[in-house]
Amino acid sequence: MTAVENEKSTVTVTLNGVEIEANPGELLIDAAERHGTYIPRFCYHSRMKSVGMCRMCLVEVDSGRGPALQPSCMIPVGEGMTVDTESEATKKAQDGVLEFLLINHPLDCPVCDKGGECPLQDQTVAFGPGESRFVEEKRHYEKPIPISDTVYLDRERCILCDRCTRFADDVAGDTLIHFMDRGNSTQVNTFPDEPFASYFSGNTVQICPVGALTAKPYRFKARPWDLEETISTAWIDSVGSRVTIQSSRNQVLRLLGVDADSVNWGWLSDKERFGFEALNSEDRLTAPMVRVDGRLEATGWAPALAAATDALRDVDPARIGVIGGARLTNESQYAWTKLAKGVLGTDNVDAQLGDGLPVEAVLGLPRATINQACTPGRTVILVGPDPKEDLGALFLRLRHAVVNDGTTLIELTPTRTGLSTIAAHSLHPKPGEVDLLAAALVDAVSGDAHDAAGVPANAIAAAAASISGPVTVVLGRASVAESAAVTVDAAIALSQLEGVGFLSALRRGNVHGALDMGMAPGLLPGRVPLRAGCDAFDQVPTEVGMDTIAMLEAAASGDLDVLVLLGSDPLSDVPDADLAERGLAGAGTVIAVEMLPNASTLTHADLVLPAAAPTEVDGTFTNLEGRVSVAEQKVTPPGTARADWMIAAELALRLGADLGVESPESIRAEIAVVSPVHAKLTETALADGRVEGVLISGSSIEAPTASGSTTPANDAYSLRLVAARRMYDNGTMLQASASSAGLAASVKVTLNPTDFEKLGLDAGTVVKVISGRGELMAPLAADFGVPAGSAMIPTNAPGSNVNTLIDASASVTDVRVERA
Amino acid sequence: MADGSYLKGFGVTFKKLFEDRVTGDYRGGKGLEKGKPDEKRPKADRLHGRHVLNRYEDGMEKCIGCELCAGVCPAKCIYVRGADNNPEAPTSPGERFGYVYEINYLRCIHCDLCVEACPTQAITESKLFEFSFTNRSDAIYTKNELLVGDDGKPQQLPWEDWRDGEDTMTSGWMRATSPAGDHRYEGVVHWAGELGYGLRDPETGQSAEANDDEGARPAASSVEHG
Repeated sequence: MTAVENEKSTVTVTLNGVEIEANPGELLIDAAERHGTYIPRFCYHSRMKSVGMCRMCLVEVDSGRGPALQPSCMIPVGEGMTVDTESEATKKAQDGVLEFLLINHPLDCPVCDKGGECPLQDQTVAFGPGESRFVEEKRHYEKPIPISDTVYLDRERCILCDRCTRFADDVAGDTLIHFMDRGNSTQVNTFPDEPFASYFSGNTVQICPVGALTAKPYRFKARPWDLEETISTAWIDSVGSRVTIQSSRNQVLRLLGVDADSVNWGWLSDKERFGFEALNSEDRLTAPMVRVDGRLEATGWAPALAAATDALRDVDPARIGVIGGARLTNESQYAWTKLAKGVLGTDNVDAQLGDGLPVEAVLGLPRATINQACTPGRTVILVGPDPKEDLGALFLRLRHAVVNDGTTLIELTPTRTGLSTIAAHSLHPKPGEVDLLAAALVDAVSGDAHDAAGVPANAIAAAAASISGPVTVVLGRASVAESAAVTVDAAIALSQLEGVGFLSALRRGNVHGALDMGMAPGLLPGRVPLRAGCDAFDQVPTEVGMDTIAMLEAAASGDLDVLVLLGSDPLSDVPDADLAERGLAGAGTVIAVEMLPNASTLTHADLVLPAAAPTEVDGTFTNLEGRVSVAEQKVTPPGTARADWMIAAELALRLGADLGVESPESIRAEIAVVSPVHAKLTETALADGRVEGVLISGSSIEAPTASGSTTPANDAYSLRLVAARRMYDNGTMLQASASSAGLAASVKVTLNPTDFEKLGLDAGTVVKVISGRGELMAPLAADFGVPAGSAMIPTNAPGSNVNTLIDASASVTDVRVERA
Repeated sequence: MADGSYLKGFGVTFKKLFEDRVTGDYRGGKGLEKGKPDEKRPKADRLHGRHVLNRYEDGMEKCIGCELCAGVCPAKCIYVRGADNNPEAPTSPGERFGYVYEINYLRCIHCDLCVEACPTQAITESKLFEFSFTNRSDAIYTKNELLVGDDGKPQQLPWEDWRDGEDTMTSGWMRATSPAGDHRYEGVVHWAGELGYGLRDPETGQSAEANDDEGARPAASSVEHG
């Protein structure tokens, strides 16, 4: 290669007689598609490594030695290459490959869920021979076999493209499905008695180019030509994955991932993909309910709103509290903030349930995007929950970055996570001491390595030495059994690293939107503190209000007259069950605005207002980066359920104030004016960011200050509790999803096996776990991923909820484990 | 108009006034009570009338709920939803069956595209068109009404005027057409066996090409039957 060619930034290829410019290293199949020539393919997927399995993309390529058929998904473009995708030889190859692929394909298209949107059908029509010469008996297998709780496999239809197996191996890292046998008997299957129990199994259904993998929730529900679709945003977690919502006859039937380069790359966790089932649940609230003689009874909106207004009118603002709001769209959150802070005048608003982080830690530190975290050559430090359990799509992005792009991952987590096997360094501090470890890591970077939080100095030094490039800290609560202050202190320590950015790992759907819209004590819309004021509000509270824990404490001592639960379930989610119970019981009037009844609603709400679901409203969501993307109404709400912003506007009107909101668009326009950071959130920007969204940056919130709290040492007889979330739990939404409800594993106490001997117990034994707050019974499980001296219990698991053991006011929770 | 052609049109009308009415003997079933003749005119074999949902000889439904009929329907009058067959007591062969099947006869234009689209010959049309409704919901036939009875014949619903012979050969139109419009299969391919009728002989003589082009027909043995 001459020097001149080296300087050239593109490669010139002749494609069907026309010269095109391709990027160096680009695959021929991609270059051709970018220039409008679609080369048929089955196995090639732009987000996975090429394997050249299906041979469908054979085209005639001449790189100087005469034309020859080559798979265009396997060869990068070369200077002077001549490609013919329409030559006789290419046509003959395509005919041959399709005839061959169809030899064993059962052609049961009329009963196949893929029929009508099937690449094999489409490409056979477009590129195929039309007729087969094969008259022999086709290969037969047992028709669909369930390979997991949500996915069926029909091996007869499989064309062995390797997409699902590559996804499982390379993308998800769950090596549970493989090719088996040889020759004509080659088939995809799971290992005996080992189901394809991956959190990401639904993606294989979406990328299957035939109907070999089908999803249980969509099985035989509709045909593609029945479906209407719209691009929207997943609401289950805070990654803000872009999805296509497909519905038929006013019912959402399927969600597909959309390839948004900055967010989810087309992947979804099964919880995001199948979570829509809860919205179709028969348990959805369809009418307001009011408690009469201890029972909730259906009523109309007029009496319900009148009752709510009566409860709220002339109450001291300090005696009103609003808990929740992370489920709402940004527009609804703004309306509720305006109602609570601007009309009612209370600052007691908190979208988090004591299981999140203070506002300063999320909005007051320099933020990073997912793409920045995943940039090759950088370092990611995980101080937070297991992304695989909490933020599925983020896990896939991080995993790809570490495995393929050379991103260095350092974990500072209390237990092993889904990323541990690929992490450069996996350091597990004692629960409640991650701040000490983070400080030690920063010290080690400047050459002063020392032991910290039970981690030896040499491990910390090695981790510090591996840090390269700018650092992104994925920051969240690894365990709700330790106080948020510990995580905040760790973040403060790590913020001294050079070029550091923080990626919040708060999990709830639109919790970042809630913070941006001021749904936290001391905060107003637009990431500004109370003192900054808000022109659009009639009044602004002067005193910083209470957070969820403080509100519940106030309610427990009879100091809260009205408690609004805005899509929240304190009994299940507040990491102090005793406090939540006392708080809800002690509050004057409890008003719940809910889609589905939850434990707190059923037992304590005096008034329930039915809310519309994310697929039933127009609006926007904000993801963990601060990226705002559109959520579009696809179906109508059940019964008389209404959008949350309408409920806020109605209540305000009845209280004699006008929120001045008429539609999500009008609210958005007001936000863009009111908020100093949302000015660029125009309708044009949203339309341009249809897929990628609009990234909102900047903040007037100050960085957090160190709490100075220290964690007490535990005595030799107790274990320190780690209460971490699992993807499938006893949450209301998940339990209302028919196909996913059963996936929640019942509660277990996981210990390091070395602790078994000390306690004289064995795996499987049912034990009693006792803390200062309460006790629970659960069987023991062994896992070397839990450090000795710690006990891991999942939050809100079926059986017993670990939050009965936790005292929200303590910095850590120590438990004793005894034979029951 | 100057040529007076419209007068020619009036002439046709005028002439018809003195001819016998073709519906003269049809009294919608009321004639028989009064001892008067009450007969329908003979209908063409391939007349498009009210649909039937056929069953196989063993009684299983032919419909697999694939919705191709609903997809092709230009009047959007068909609503189908599939569901999983119960493996213990399947409704149709295979995995899927037509769980909901509705035709709205206020919209149906009897074009028979549904019949052509059906991959299992589940839906065909009878020669009955004498049915009327007094409300909208009656006009929507569900699976209960469309499915053939245990004798393989269409159910004769109280508001329909069936006469002897009209309920046989409901798949006549379908059987007269060669698969995929390919005349080479004419006279070779049987349709799937039907409840009450079994496997009927393939029909012949339907297209001109078939008669001209005898040599192009594939050998009977190489074509999949049924």
